[in-house]
Amino acid sequence: MPILRFLVRRLFQGAIIVFLVSALIFTLLRIVPGDPVRLMAGGMAPEALIEQIATEMGLRDPIYEQFGRYVGGVLQGDLGQSFVRPANGAAVGGASFDDSTRSERAKVLDLIAQTAPKTIQLALLAMVFALIIAVPIGVWGGLNPGRLPDRLALYLSSVLVSLPNFWLGIVLALLLSVKLNLLPAIGYKGFAYTILPAFVLALEIAPFIIRNLSVSVAGVMGQNFIDIARVRGLTRNQIIFRHAMKNSAVPLLNLLGVQFSMLLGGVLVIEFIFDYPGLGLLTINAVMQRDFPLIQGIAVVTAAAFVLINIVVDLLATTIDPRLDY
Amino acid sequence: MSLDMVRNEVLLSVRDLSVAAEGEGGALRPILDRISFDLAPRQILSVIGESGSGKTVLARTIASWLSAPLTVTGGEVLFRGRDLLADPAHARSLAGREIAYVGGNPAGALDPTMTVGAQLVEKLRAVRPEITPAEAKDKAIRLLSAVRIPAAERRFHEYPFQYSGGMMQRAMIVDALISDPALLIADNITQPLDVTVAAQILKLMRELNAEFSTAILFICSSLPVACDASDEVMVLHQGRVVERQAPAALVTRPGHGYTRALIAELPTLWQGGPEGRDERQKRDQRAIMSVNGVSKAYETRGKSGKALVQAVRDVTFDVFPGDNFGIVGESGCGKSSLMRLLTGLERPDGGTILFEGENVGAASPARLRELRRKFQLVLQDPYGSLPPQSAIGAILEEPLKIHRIGTAAERRERARAVMSEVGLPADIYESLPTGLSAGQRQRLNVARAMILEPRLLIMDETLSALDQTEQGKLLDLFERLQAQHGFTYIFISHDMTMVRQVCSRIAVMYLGETVEVAPSERLFFEPGHPYTRALLSAAPTLEPRRYRPEDCLLDGEPPSPIDLPPGCAFASRCPSVTTRCRAENPALRTRGRQALAACFLVPDPSVTSDEPMEQSDV
Repeated sequence: MPILRFLVRRLFQGAIIVFLVSALIFTLLRIVPGDPVRLMAGGMAPEALIEQIATEMGLRDPIYEQFGRYVGGVLQGDLGQSFVRPANGAAVGGASFDDSTRSERAKVLDLIAQTAPKTIQLALLAMVFALIIAVPIGVWGGLNPGRLPDRLALYLSSVLVSLPNFWLGIVLALLLSVKLNLLPAIGYKGFAYTILPAFVLALEIAPFIIRNLSVSVAGVMGQNFIDIARVRGLTRNQIIFRHAMKNSAVPLLNLLGVQFSMLLGGVLVIEFIFDYPGLGLLTINAVMQRDFPLIQGIAVVTAAAFVLINIVVDLLATTIDPRLDY
Repeated sequence: MSLDMVRNEVLLSVRDLSVAAEGEGGALRPILDRISFDLAPRQILSVIGESGSGKTVLARTIASWLSAPLTVTGGEVLFRGRDLLADPAHARSLAGREIAYVGGNPAGALDPTMTVGAQLVEKLRAVRPEITPAEAKDKAIRLLSAVRIPAAERRFHEYPFQYSGGMMQRAMIVDALISDPALLIADNITQPLDVTVAAQILKLMRELNAEFSTAILFICSSLPVACDASDEVMVLHQGRVVERQAPAALVTRPGHGYTRALIAELPTLWQGGPEGRDERQKRDQRAIMSVNGVSKAYETRGKSGKALVQAVRDVTFDVFPGDNFGIVGESGCGKSSLMRLLTGLERPDGGTILFEGENVGAASPARLRELRRKFQLVLQDPYGSLPPQSAIGAILEEPLKIHRIGTAAERRERARAVMSEVGLPADIYESLPTGLSAGQRQRLNVARAMILEPRLLIMDETLSALDQTEQGKLLDLFERLQAQHGFTYIFISHDMTMVRQVCSRIAVMYLGETVEVAPSERLFFEPGHPYTRALLSAAPTLEPRRYRPEDCLLDGEPPSPIDLPPGCAFASRCPSVTTRCRAENPALRTRGRQALAACFLVPDPSVTSDEPMEQSDV
């Protein structure tokens, strides 16, 4: 079974990638200045207490020992506990230094499991919006290379790609939520809260899809089998929708894979602006609080998602174009 | 329908058709000039002419496939009495249904992401929606077996990239015939194919013409192929019909000066008797290059895992000083892999290649560079083989620099001398090769190879990119250089007529093996291997054939070099195959008078050997 061999090989490669990513992040986090214990215990905590907590938590051990412990945990499905966040609710960095309720701090895995579905939902919706916007424009441009539709597609992509997403997010929130009262913007109380941030993200991704599609459709339309299809008696619709689109799909699929991975990895700015409780917001807070285990956990999970999405994309590509090799 | 009432004996009638190319500012350059002809149902009409004579434009006009800048400037194309030019909608409705077209490039003719079968069904249902998918599938499979695609049922579900060039062309013929068209336009359909496969396709086309009663307009640039294929031949010259005759009459009594010139220009294989170019080299002297049992395999990784492509298997021959040695074979037979081994670009897996007694395959890189001064290579592609950013003088001096020969002034003088020797004007010394024609580029390539004064020149398809006239001029040049410098040539080629003209000894390769090594006159008049006979029977020539394709070649295609049969590689296509051939691979054995062949039909050498073996005993 070549497909099984392919899966085993790619998953093995993926595991190595995830391991290297986590090793790198782990080391970097411990090299950069800023002591998490100081943040946890608060500015007023005595130096001796901080040293004591740090030693108890194993933070004064050599990095490789800490990393070994961490990997051991990850292999058992334990991504560790947040330094900062209590299990029972929203969190702020160390209020008092005599807080000894360490067992009550939230598990990293739980934190990620709570927020990841929101981000997946956001990413999927953004993808759908982006495709709805970009596919007709891109194909139209590709069918008329050098002519008006192609130029319009290019101008539109240039405009969209130059719009800063935080500006667009704020303007759209002002227009659609505040002035017209059509969509909710801030926070999350239901599906409607996903629409606006997804739309902003879609406008950000769309120009890449438009360019990719119009270039590959134009390339496919110039090929011999399209040229000869008309003489063979196929209709224009058959040629475009069955042959040209299918052949343009592989480069598009690769692009979508990369874009989707990036969306999952946390759309920091957009989630921050819309206060959308996804992985991106979680990441920002974790970084600001120097919540090492949480940053670490997010890195491992998103790296694994990258790997899996790439495997899926490659599998899909080989089913579209059988000439591609696993 | 009114169409059915027009029941006369003319299917297609072209009247005073003129087509022009629109240049800048609306200037019209005529391509076709008042062409008129009729085509009866079931007739095969060849249209022949050199490149630029308008054949393909004619084919595309009839197929309603003209695109800018070409425009019809006059005349009409009547199909069953209705003018296609006046009624584009009607013409479109005929495309693929009544008027089918097969082009010369089968490689990119179908969508690579869909199976061949699905596309055949799609096409048939596009032009005849009343046919159900199941019926269409049955018909496609039936036709695929009719064009002798083996295991048609399985092949139906395969993708275009799994088909070889010859099979793909058959599939395209099925694609054209599946809608039972009244007219098939075959535009250069044999051009990209190997001669033996082309011969099979032509044979097939004639059979299909009889079976399906389709009229065929056969566009072609080779007069022998055109004559083989058709009932009548129409000669096109500079956009005009200059004559139209049955093939036999055309060859014996050509009516137009252009046709006469065309016939006179064709090189011949057998006319003029068996004496070829053979200086009868002294075979007692040491061979300049001695190839002995050389093999090379490449590893490929496919869906089914790793596989070995056995590109060169057990090749053996000697080349003697001052000789013209030919290596012929069809695409994929390992000619080019062998060239890479002979020139030391790659090392053989087994066997030895001795150049003046020294093993090229085992020489150190430094020694190999020294050896290369004495044997040089001239490649096929006149465009890709020259650096576009270097001046012609610099290109010529580079080999001298690499081998640290002479001062700058001496190198310059040497380059100018070589340029004049190959017939390049001296004033292009400083210019880039951009403006050179293909012929001039090959002259430059030859000059670059000979500037080191080598002893052996290996010509890998050096002439195949050139037209007949230019080929002749370069062959004259090679001969003159040989007389002056005493070069030895190895010509690697697929062109039997070229090899017949210039080579004294020839090795025939099939699937990586040398199946026959013989002097020119033996090879062409008394071939020892059935594959050589098949090659000769398929060679395009107007002469009365010594070997007929019907007798010499079975249907089928060469086996894949990844998955070779246990016995003789040619057994699957050989008319004289025996059970022994399928089990055991024959080795080269002598058949007297300096000829060797790898076939069990050659009498045992221990019985007939009247001469000492020319080859070292393998």
